[in-house]
Amino acid sequence: MIVAENLTRRFGDRIAVENLSLEIAEGEVFGFLGPNGAGKTTTVRMLAGLLAPTGGRAVVAGVDVVAQPQRVRTLVGILTEHPGLYEKLSAWHNLKFYADLYDLPNPQAQIEKYLRLLGLWERRFEPAGTFSKGMKQKLAIARALLHEPRVLFLDEPTSGLDPEAAKTVRDFIAQLASEKRTIFLCTHNLHEAEQLCTRIGLMRQRLIRVGSPTSLKRELYGRQIVIELQEPWTASEDLHLPFVRSVQRDDRRLLVELDDPEQHNPTLIKRLVELGAQIQFVREQDRTLEEVYLELISEEQR
Amino acid sequence: MTLKRVRVVIVKEWREAFKGGKTVWIGTVAIPLILLGISLFQLFHISDFRAIPPEELPRVVGAVFLVPLLYFLMFPLVIPHSIAIYAIMSEKEQKSLEPLLAMPLRTGELFLAKTLASVLPAVGITWVAFGLFLVVIQALLPASVLELAWQQFSPLWGMALGLFAPLAATFMTLAAMAIATRVSDLRTAQLLSSFAMLPVLMSAFFLVLQETLSRPELLGLLSVGLLVLDMWLLLLNVKLFGREEILTRWR
Ligand SMILES: Nc1ncnc2c1ncn2[C@@H]1O[C@H](COP(=O)(O)OP(=O)(O)OP(=O)(O)O)[C@@H](O)[C@H]1O
Ligand SMILES: [Mg+2]
Repeated sequence: MIVAENLTRRFGDRIAVENLSLEIAEGEVFGFLGPNGAGKTTTVRMLAGLLAPTGGRAVVAGVDVVAQPQRVRTLVGILTEHPGLYEKLSAWHNLKFYADLYDLPNPQAQIEKYLRLLGLWERRFEPAGTFSKGMKQKLAIARALLHEPRVLFLDEPTSGLDPEAAKTVRDFIAQLASEKRTIFLCTHNLHEAEQLCTRIGLMRQRLIRVGSPTSLKRELYGRQIVIELQEPWTASEDLHLPFVRSVQRDDRRLLVELDDPEQHNPTLIKRLVELGAQIQFVREQDRTLEEVYLELISEEQR
Repeated sequence: MTLKRVRVVIVKEWREAFKGGKTVWIGTVAIPLILLGISLFQLFHISDFRAIPPEELPRVVGAVFLVPLLYFLMFPLVIPHSIAIYAIMSEKEQKSLEPLLAMPLRTGELFLAKTLASVLPAVGITWVAFGLFLVVIQALLPASVLELAWQQFSPLWGMALGLFAPLAATFMTLAAMAIATRVSDLRTAQLLSSFAMLPVLMSAFFLVLQETLSRPELLGLLSVGLLVLDMWLLLLNVKLFGREEILTRWR
């Protein structure tokens, strides 16, 4: 649904996005992470036909963004960094304006559908300027969806929202994903990315790494098993198991890095018990995406 | 270029300006109405036409009808001022340009819509005001005065309303838009664009106070000058109004 090849954008001497190559399949929720100024918004603007790349190419929903930006804009929906609503106009008139620009055959029905879905129907005649931040964000999301785009760009949809509003928005995104829409999600909320995204791209001017949250974690840390013991581990022998890559001891805890724990854990535990370990708990070490993110970014800085 | 999209944007501009509060309203409707009122008041109160000896009448009519003419030259300059500035500044302040540019809307359509949204009411209101003016004088002035007024003024009125008004409204709109795209706050934009209307206004004053009556073509000349200015401003605006330009430089 989204293909980018060496997509590049310069602003004068500054390179905002450099040689970005990426492929996103239909129905994917792709999380786009990266520090401030990494080039996320610039990438979205290029992919949504808003800003011309200075190099490379991209095809979105089957249309070349350089050759036919106007066509791309009719096919994709975009939630921009700022909601950018007409504050003096009512929620209804805001959406009516965009619906007319999209030249929808049934504008009223579409507006009603999304105002109801996002819980704004009752307040449709109030000026958007009187809305809370969360309501404005929802209205902006409705705007991005009016024309039922198959590809949706969301630039920090939950930034600045309270936890409850953020959750509503996240649930809504999950619902959109279940409708098989392709979603390109820029976010600084790593927990959100982990929850929603099938794949993650880590960006800092260039694309640093791409993968599913789980595979990124594994790639970085291997798989580790935490074994909690009743007594501190004092045995001096080596485990002598070929699949074990490393063992860290830490008072009453063992941190074992190994291949294929599903297969080898029973052997590992048997061996530990033979060596006199008093095992209380065995679990897999769960890395958060945050750890992965920080690790990759600092790796990149070195 | 589709007219539907242009129309949709124009309607949005008007709806927004309508809700935009006093400044826009006063500039668009109140000032012209007040000017119209003043000019009519002067016409009826300063001169008691019946008391004037017939041989003096042409000179008096020539003098008293000059002032309303001046006002009608001001209308198209004053009206676009607030609408045109509002059309740009409010988009900037609300950060609504990016979502707007994300629509299937060409920059040319957007530019045309914003320009028309300001030129159309300016010309329309000027014409309506002039219509009112004609109706009132028709009803209240003696036939002899009316006849003289038509004789002396119809070429000027024609030029002022048919030529000067649209060109001046376009000039003011383009000037205000060029200024508004470049500055970041409303007050500065308003101040600078009121300066823009001064030279045109001054030359109009100058012409009217000069021998305009005997040489109506002077007003035509002023219009040609405006036309040249309009073309130049149009080029400037088209350059300032690129999609990239708007996205990356309008802050
Ligand atoms: N219009 C512009 N003119 C000049 N430089 C720009 C422009 N837009 C973006 N940049 C630069 O490009 C780089 C990437 O900016 P971008 O807004 O894409 O980052 P981002 O990843 O979205 O950041 P954030 O997380 O803060 O939203 C930054 O260095 C920024 O200063
Ligand atoms: Mg950004």
